[in-house]
Amino acid sequence: MDFHLGEKADEVRREIRAFLTEHFTEEERQRAVADGGGHDWDMYRKLAAEGWVSAGWPKEIGGGGRDPFEMLTLYWELCKAGFPWIGLLNSGFIGHTIMALGTEDQKKNLVPRIASGEIAFALGYSEPGAGSDVAAARTAATRDGDDWIIDGQKMWTTTAHVAQYIFMLTRTATLDRPHRGLTLFIVPTDAEGVDIQPVHTMGGERSNAVYLTKVRVPDSARVGEVDKGWAVVRFALGLEQAMGFADLQERFLEKASAWALEEQAGGERPFDDPRVREQLGQTAIHTEVARLLRHRSTWLSAEGMNLGAKGAMTKSFSASSYLEDAQAWTRIGGPAALLAEGQPGAIAEGSFEEAFRQTPVNSIYGGTVEILRSLIAEVELGLPKSR
Amino acid sequence: MDLTLDESQEILRSTFSEMLERECPIKLVRECEDTGYSATLWSRYQELGAQIMGLPESFGGLDMSLLELGLVAQASGRALAPVPFLEVAAAGRLLAGLADGDGDRPDRARAATEALAEGTAFSSLVLPRPFAVLGTQSRVDAENCERLVPFGSVADEVLFHDGHALYLIGGAERRRSARLEDSGSGAIARWGLSEREHDDCVVLARGSVAEKAIARASAEWKLLAAFWLVGLAQRALEIGSEYARERIQFGVPIGGFQGIAHPLAEAATRLDGAELLAWEAAWAGEAEPARFEAVASMAFAWAAQTAGRTTDVSLHTHGGYGFASEYDIQLFYRRAGALASIAGGAREELQCVAALSLTGTATNAPPFTASERKA
Repeated sequence: MDFHLGEKADEVRREIRAFLTEHFTEEERQRAVADGGGHDWDMYRKLAAEGWVSAGWPKEIGGGGRDPFEMLTLYWELCKAGFPWIGLLNSGFIGHTIMALGTEDQKKNLVPRIASGEIAFALGYSEPGAGSDVAAARTAATRDGDDWIIDGQKMWTTTAHVAQYIFMLTRTATLDRPHRGLTLFIVPTDAEGVDIQPVHTMGGERSNAVYLTKVRVPDSARVGEVDKGWAVVRFALGLEQAMGFADLQERFLEKASAWALEEQAGGERPFDDPRVREQLGQTAIHTEVARLLRHRSTWLSAEGMNLGAKGAMTKSFSASSYLEDAQAWTRIGGPAALLAEGQPGAIAEGSFEEAFRQTPVNSIYGGTVEILRSLIAEVELGLPKSR
Repeated sequence: MDLTLDESQEILRSTFSEMLERECPIKLVRECEDTGYSATLWSRYQELGAQIMGLPESFGGLDMSLLELGLVAQASGRALAPVPFLEVAAAGRLLAGLADGDGDRPDRARAATEALAEGTAFSSLVLPRPFAVLGTQSRVDAENCERLVPFGSVADEVLFHDGHALYLIGGAERRRSARLEDSGSGAIARWGLSEREHDDCVVLARGSVAEKAIARASAEWKLLAAFWLVGLAQRALEIGSEYARERIQFGVPIGGFQGIAHPLAEAATRLDGAELLAWEAAWAGEAEPARFEAVASMAFAWAAQTAGRTTDVSLHTHGGYGFASEYDIQLFYRRAGALASIAGGAREELQCVAALSLTGTATNAPPFTASERKA
């Protein structure tokens, strides 16, 4: 039994912290919060220049060959620092996928440009009528000679407004067997017929709705076999679910703890109140458990073992416990907890206010906790399918 | 990172699991409902060396790690074994430490450790409650200081820290009650702990030596109790899930309804976290001693919360039958609640977590009410 992530991960932590100290200033952080788009080209290219965009790809194809613990640490530190990292996350995954399933042409043309930070991708899975039931996607791709014509609408296409491409799930066969008629395409965001509209959220993040009207793409833009796209999507969702938000929970705990120990005018600290201590204890445990579940998922991946529904557990627990804590601190903090970061009188640097707005989405995107719990019930407890 | 058990740990686990399957069927648990203790089963434990597992070799002990002790606790929790394994393990290690260390009475600590190792007598301990809710225990300095002691109905001596010194208190005089009827069918008894200048009361250590010893022993008890609760809850979840797969209503197994399936899935998730946290605390006991007490406290608080939730969900899955004495799930529900509460309960423990995590100690934490502050 050993709970250390290892020396290589420790080294990554030092390196990425040094990178953040040098490039990601407080001013940059505030800019990322205000923008909310999840991607910043200037920052992204600096990361790419140091090899972080392709860090998790195998060395044989020009990647950094970093192991899962090193990648965990990279994402952890970036996310905890408030770095706009969604583009990085998407690129890491799509690079992998193209290398596994793409054509030689795609490997040669796209992979080096992803690694260098030249191009970035958004993920186009969800649709207005296909949320949790992502396999019910209706955006249609129809053959037209050597090309395909795509018609439909995508929803929650975060970073589409800054990315050059959307990795898009489309329907290429009838809905009778929903999982078998799906195909993936790489669709340029500047193609004719692509209309990207912002979707603003209460968490401050900006996402997008993407309208597709007779968008023509060549067959060479297809990734994987026709009608076999479901496995690719499942793989992608699995990666996302195995992560959770323990890094953000850790930051939240640090802010709450620092606030609790601040001496007030009368010399007393919030910590001296049993209600504050009790919630601190609960938040500390939630954070630790979320971290351990994520480390376990990472360890299982690193060992090449079957994750079962352990990834679903990681995300489900992290999402629900973070939400619970965010709301609990709002109930404890009174009016001062309403104030946003930077407002006079704000407590815990506005993190209670921020988490209150941001955490509800965690139990929704990338697999709602209900979808995840059904998966856990089936895979881990052997219960019948419940949907 | 490595989350596997080594070969000897696997053997230890299966040795106890097999013994318990044989010697501690649920029938035995039910037979012990009125005593909370089985001398026969405890002698089986002793034959396997349970009382000396955590002791150093100088006492003929097996010098096992906290993780190994935890695996035995987990197997015991699964079986609802009515034995004082947690108390003997924690008290034994405390006594052995003071027998070799710089306490006031190494001779008495040595004698008590030897008796415990030989199986002729054993000590339980009063778990400190720095954040005890007012009215839930008598004051330490009151004339009739009494405490509820786990396995106090069968323990020969009790370890007690009064904030200044650590005492070993013995003798039939001190046991003020026989076994008390409690919701967990345990072996709790009331012990009288005042008049500590009497002959049946020995100061083992004072000051920081005493504080460190009781803090460590308390953390070890909590860690092992966390393993026990995890084992208990894992078995309860199996029972609940099995029922959900087999019970037919509206023509289908009820486990296919999300209202049944999702609470079980959520319990399974939290329980996996509880097991990982117990493992981490056991590992920290040796690898990161500075964090040990905080992580052990987390492990206990979370195991208490999780075992409560899991046994509740599993019982509820049974519908009305879960409430019937005939069904085993109620035995798990009651014992999960009892073991969580004997040390003060999850809400008190959360405060220990905060104090240990942020200030490094839970013994001189700030007063918890205005009236206490004035006093």
